[in-house]
Amino acid sequence: MEPLSADEAFELGNLLRDTAVALGEWRVGHQGSLTRREWDELDEREIALLNSASAMYTAAIGLVLADSEPALARLQSSVKHAKTAIGRIAVFKQALDLASALILFAGAITSGNVAALPVAVVSLEDAAAAIFSSAGSDD
Amino acid sequence: MSYSTNNARRFRWWARFLAHLLLATAISGCASFTEVRKFASLSGNAAGFDGITRDYVEAPERRKQYQPAKFYPDLESMKARREAQHASLDLLQQTLANYMHGLDALASGDMRVFDKSLVDVSASLNKASMLDANEKQAVGALSTLFARSATVWYREHEMKKLIGRSNEPLQDVIRAARRIVENGIVADLQVESALIARYYDNIMLAPDNPPEPVAMALAKEVRAEALSRADGRIRSARAYDNVLSGIAAGHQYLYDHRNAIGAIGHGETGPQFKSHINTLRTAYKTLLDVSR
Repeated sequence: MEPLSADEAFELGNLLRDTAVALGEWRVGHQGSLTRREWDELDEREIALLNSASAMYTAAIGLVLADSEPALARLQSSVKHAKTAIGRIAVFKQALDLASALILFAGAITSGNVAALPVAVVSLEDAAAAIFSSAGSDD
Repeated sequence: MSYSTNNARRFRWWARFLAHLLLATAISGCASFTEVRKFASLSGNAAGFDGITRDYVEAPERRKQYQPAKFYPDLESMKARREAQHASLDLLQQTLANYMHGLDALASGDMRVFDKSLVDVSASLNKASMLDANEKQAVGALSTLFARSATVWYREHEMKKLIGRSNEPLQDVIRAARRIVENGIVADLQVESALIARYYDNIMLAPDNPPEPVAMALAKEVRAEALSRADGRIRSARAYDNVLSGIAAGHQYLYDHRNAIGAIGHGETGPQFKSHINTLRTAYKTLLDVSR
């Protein structure tokens, strides 16, 4: 026999629950003709049916969780991808610093103003040092 | 013409060229992700609502009061199975929430980080005595354009990729979560209502029970309160299902329009996407209201 699918388990749970409810309605409707013992016996059957329905829903939820694992794994991989993308923005900031420092450096060189070069060089060195120290801390 | 004048002219030409290039990039990347952020942030908060799962796991313990002790071993074993599922259910919700928070972070970016860099460059520029005021302004503008256009472009590109590759698994995960909520948790809460009803019916209607009007009236009142609590749990679960439905529809819209992600929420797509956000906001508000 093939194992139950999640949908079949949900359906079975519904069947158990609805049967218990119908049994309860019958019991209350026939209250006058039932002895206390018969009443209690039916009540216990109802409780057992209701608990079985709950157990069936629990099993069905377990099956859905198992079925959803591949999709969940793919989505988790997307979450990691998003985090990497956000992380790259931080690295990109260093590239930006470096690029800005290079623009400044290029400006200093092309203007031929030797006195301005140290400022540009310091800026360039700082940007490069930040990248190296960050790469070092990643190791 | 001196060497330095030639070089300065060449620098100005390059500056103009770069300015045009970067301006073009900036205009093409002049996107605002405000509406995407609103949707992602709202979805992240709503998807992470953990009251429904907690209720489901605690249900067997809660139901002990409505049944004889001989059923406790069954309830204990159900409780153990649900506790074992708790981590997987949390993972399902948290993955959805994490994804949405990730999308939110990508859509928002943190321009303050870049602005700090630009302030540093500005300070350096002010110290650079070889550039005249116009040249300083040009270099500063270039850096700003470079930072803003490149980050907007990068974020837009990454969001397109992320939404493109995530929509299918996201819809699958949401479908699974909705099946769990509607077919499993709501149905199970209806079992709880039936248990409560039969428990108080027994007190009031069982044969041979002595007729005690005061006790009957009290039992009737307590029955109504207990059923109302169970009904509140069912309404919470259904409200969470509506939240999931809103997230799925909103993300599908983002997926369908991902190639114009920067324009979502503006122009023609404005009212459509805003309506998705409003539906989701209403569903989340209802969830919070009924779960109080």
